Amino acid sequence: MAEKTRSIWVFGDYRNYFQNRVTLQLLSRATDLAQKIDAEVCAVVFGHEVDEWVGEYIAHGAKKVFVTDHPMLKSYSTDLYVALMERLALTYDPEIILVGATSFGREFAPRVSKRLKTGLTADCVGLDMNEEGLLVQTAPAFGGNVLARIVTPGRRPQMATVRPGTFQEIPHNYEAAGEIVRVPLPANLPRDRVRLISSERQPPREQKIEDAAVVVCGGRGMGSRKKFRNLYDLARILGGEVGATRPVVYSKWAEEEALVGQADKHIQPKVLLSFGISGAIQHTAGITNADFIIAVNKNPNAAMMKMADVAIVADANQVCTAFIRELKRRIRS
Amino acid sequence: MLKMIVCMKQVPMVTELPWDTGTGSLKRDLAEGMMNPACKHALEAALRLKAEHDGHITAITMGPPMAEEVLREAIAMGADRCLMLSDRKMAGADTLVTSYTLARAIEIFCPDFDLILCGCHTSDSETAQVGPQLAEELDIPVIAYAEHVQLGDGSITIRRVSDNFLETLEMDMPGLITLTTHNYVPRYTPLAGLQDAFDEPNILIVSADDLGLDEAMTGIQGSPTRILDVFSPTAEKKNIVLTGAPKKIVEELFERFDDRIGSVIRKDLKVDRQSHG
Amino acid sequence: MEFNPCMKHKLVRKTVREFAEAELGPIAHEIDREARFPWEIIEKMRPLNFFGLQVPRKYGGADIDSISYAITIEEISRVSGAVGLCITVHNSVGIYPILKYGTAEQKQRYIPKLSSGECIGAFCLTEANAGSDAGGVETNAVRDGDSYIINGTKIFVTNGGVCALPLIFAITDPERGGGGASVFIMEKDLPGFSVGEIEDLCGMRANPVSSLFFEDCRVPKENLLGKEGEGMKIGLSALDTGRIGIGAQAVGIAQAAFEASVKYSKERQQFRKPISSFQTIQNMLADMATEIDASRLLVYRVCALKDAGRKFSKEAAMAKLYCSGVASRITGQAVQIHGGYGYSREYDVERYFRDAKVTEIYEGTSEVQRMVISRSVLTEPM
Repeated sequence: MAEKTRSIWVFGDYRNYFQNRVTLQLLSRATDLAQKIDAEVCAVVFGHEVDEWVGEYIAHGAKKVFVTDHPMLKSYSTDLYVALMERLALTYDPEIILVGATSFGREFAPRVSKRLKTGLTADCVGLDMNEEGLLVQTAPAFGGNVLARIVTPGRRPQMATVRPGTFQEIPHNYEAAGEIVRVPLPANLPRDRVRLISSERQPPREQKIEDAAVVVCGGRGMGSRKKFRNLYDLARILGGEVGATRPVVYSKWAEEEALVGQADKHIQPKVLLSFGISGAIQHTAGITNADFIIAVNKNPNAAMMKMADVAIVADANQVCTAFIRELKRRIRS
Repeated sequence: MLKMIVCMKQVPMVTELPWDTGTGSLKRDLAEGMMNPACKHALEAALRLKAEHDGHITAITMGPPMAEEVLREAIAMGADRCLMLSDRKMAGADTLVTSYTLARAIEIFCPDFDLILCGCHTSDSETAQVGPQLAEELDIPVIAYAEHVQLGDGSITIRRVSDNFLETLEMDMPGLITLTTHNYVPRYTPLAGLQDAFDEPNILIVSADDLGLDEAMTGIQGSPTRILDVFSPTAEKKNIVLTGAPKKIVEELFERFDDRIGSVIRKDLKVDRQSHG
Repeated sequence: MEFNPCMKHKLVRKTVREFAEAELGPIAHEIDREARFPWEIIEKMRPLNFFGLQVPRKYGGADIDSISYAITIEEISRVSGAVGLCITVHNSVGIYPILKYGTAEQKQRYIPKLSSGECIGAFCLTEANAGSDAGGVETNAVRDGDSYIINGTKIFVTNGGVCALPLIFAITDPERGGGGASVFIMEKDLPGFSVGEIEDLCGMRANPVSSLFFEDCRVPKENLLGKEGEGMKIGLSALDTGRIGIGAQAVGIAQAAFEASVKYSKERQQFRKPISSFQTIQNMLADMATEIDASRLLVYRVCALKDAGRKFSKEAAMAKLYCSGVASRITGQAVQIHGGYGYSREYDVERYFRDAKVTEIYEGTSEVQRMVISRSVLTEPM
């Protein structure tokens, strides 16, 4: 056999294809990384009747797709998928395995890394190659307030789960060619110790604050519950959602659903308007993905103001009121 | 008797992280410790199972001596027994090595467990990996991000939200679950419990040698991952400061940043006819 | 001597702080404004042993040490002085005398109700013509068969509006004046006992301080605490323990004012600099920090003496005198640092300022503390 080609694998997480394009994003990034170490980009797909996804992955950059297609694999199973991945990895010895940091990916990847006795970096927000050809994985800690650059020097494969939305997918190319390697279901697979009793897609909420393009966030600096209501007027005009800090929710100025910065509750608006928020770490952890932040606070040194693209030193409620007036004037004219 | 193990970690209280502005690193020694929130929810779930099913709870932590505090807190809340893995040799462990160490301790000190409960992730390193890796090391099934737990006969039923799917799963026991902070809001610790927790010195402190750990798989030496550097991404933002009368500020805002805000706002601009003014 | 707080005391502080900040924090401002007693929080405090802090287990208490007790009071008071007041008065002067002087039957009958928080306690000494001078008490209790008949009016009773088992200081032997005083366990439902209007006070507004009226109120003789004529002794020992709590409370209020001042001085800009960069402010903060530390250590020392079974009257008076003075001074400085905002009722510092003042007045005024201390100083061998 000729010298083995190095490969970068991307786990094909297709369950939420239309909402969550993380696999495509990873294929895109893997393609960039592969050029630096002269490697081949592969996707790995387990499931039943998955050819649709195999085609998609080739169209989005996979040069090779390993597929195990069997009715037993119809629904995601950690036990079975881990066993399959272990065998594949031991056979083909990939340099890197990338997994989307979806709920499933975060349950699946740690077990795979343990089986392969290799390192795994969680929820990466950056991937690069250094001069030594090591994968440099940038991972957040302390709610995104700290980033750490992590490598796995001594073991292979190098493994990372990657936060959805970190990379841009490349436009599809249905002309692209890719090799499909069909791997039969091994005979001696372990018994699945977890059984899926029911699974239903969660009804999409009207608009979740997590998905809103505009979010108007308010803190105690709004002054009172009554003044806080102004933010709802502003959000309504902007077609956005209202977010709130923990003290505000505690004080019952806003509903629990509005809380931003709760564990797992992150928003990613194009524009974030922040009124009277000092910027406690629990809150700022939830807004690190906002594109453009306008913060209003009397205190120019508040942490929130330092994070903002535009920091307005003024009374939060007065600016909110002025904002509403200006918007209404623009609508009328 | 349902035998449960709750794994917990002491994390820094993060209301205000003390930063070393020179090196850009966290002064961890200045931060007070606390029980990681998700671990506390896992303990709460265990306590409720214990109340319903005649259970027994062993709390385990791995960390420096001061991490004993979270075990004392666990006893105060209602845990029955504590195990503290503390040894300089264990320091700097990544998740792979941590799960190896925890697994050895569990095999030696509580081999006949039915259920292990962990927090879904910690508030400091946020990897969410130790739970699944521990399950792998012990060769037991895992369900991550559990939100509701119900005990059956030899199995356990879990409800969770996984990638927009509301799932109900049944898992064989022994098994491991990791809990989110969405449910099982932890009880407040009663003061009588705190007094008891310090009256009874029932914490077993275990060293690397006690566990017979393989040095090649222990502490920072055994960890496959290496941290190159740590930095703060938010400290770098250069921003524009506006002051003055609110009306002027808002006008200036639209003038200068129309490209950023206008594009998002204008197409959706709507007026609520009911709203006054 | 150990100056680092042990793990237990650190954990007690974190535990109480977590509760106080999460549950009381959001309403502390509002209950002060509305002068409302927060029953909903009291309900949550009951299962956590806040009402039986130092009560033995057999009566349903937590049986914590005195430093843990002081930390508990400090941390509640740091968030709400008025609720801290309720808890300390209930636990010290409300319960302690029954524990120390009560018969087995009295303890069995009353302590579990108090330590569970089912009944809130109080201690009634002050009258229109009696305060610092306990000898001026006019409320009297006359023996009548198997009962006493009590007549009189108590004023400024902390927890007055919500108490169910207050202790009443009354004269049983008018001939002997203060020396003829006794203490009775009053029950809320006894005919002839009624509660007056809630006082409109400067601070501690969420505590329902009120008058209590006794009109031919017939109390079974079993409710006499200790012996007839032991009132003064019981009263004084109750106040000794009460002073520990007020000292701790003062530390808590001062701490809150200090933290607000540090935060504000870093945020507030004048002359294009945060005001914390000015030496004037730095000096204030340095003094505040030092005085709070000294206060706390004085409180902990009394606690250690009490737990060691030693005498602590003088030390309790010293702690109470010093801590209350510090609280008053520091909350005043906190208002000063906050400038106009400090004087505004939208901010919390003016509440700390109002709450702190009374720590120099109740459970023995600062003048009375000096009396206690000087008496001890002048009689003790050098």
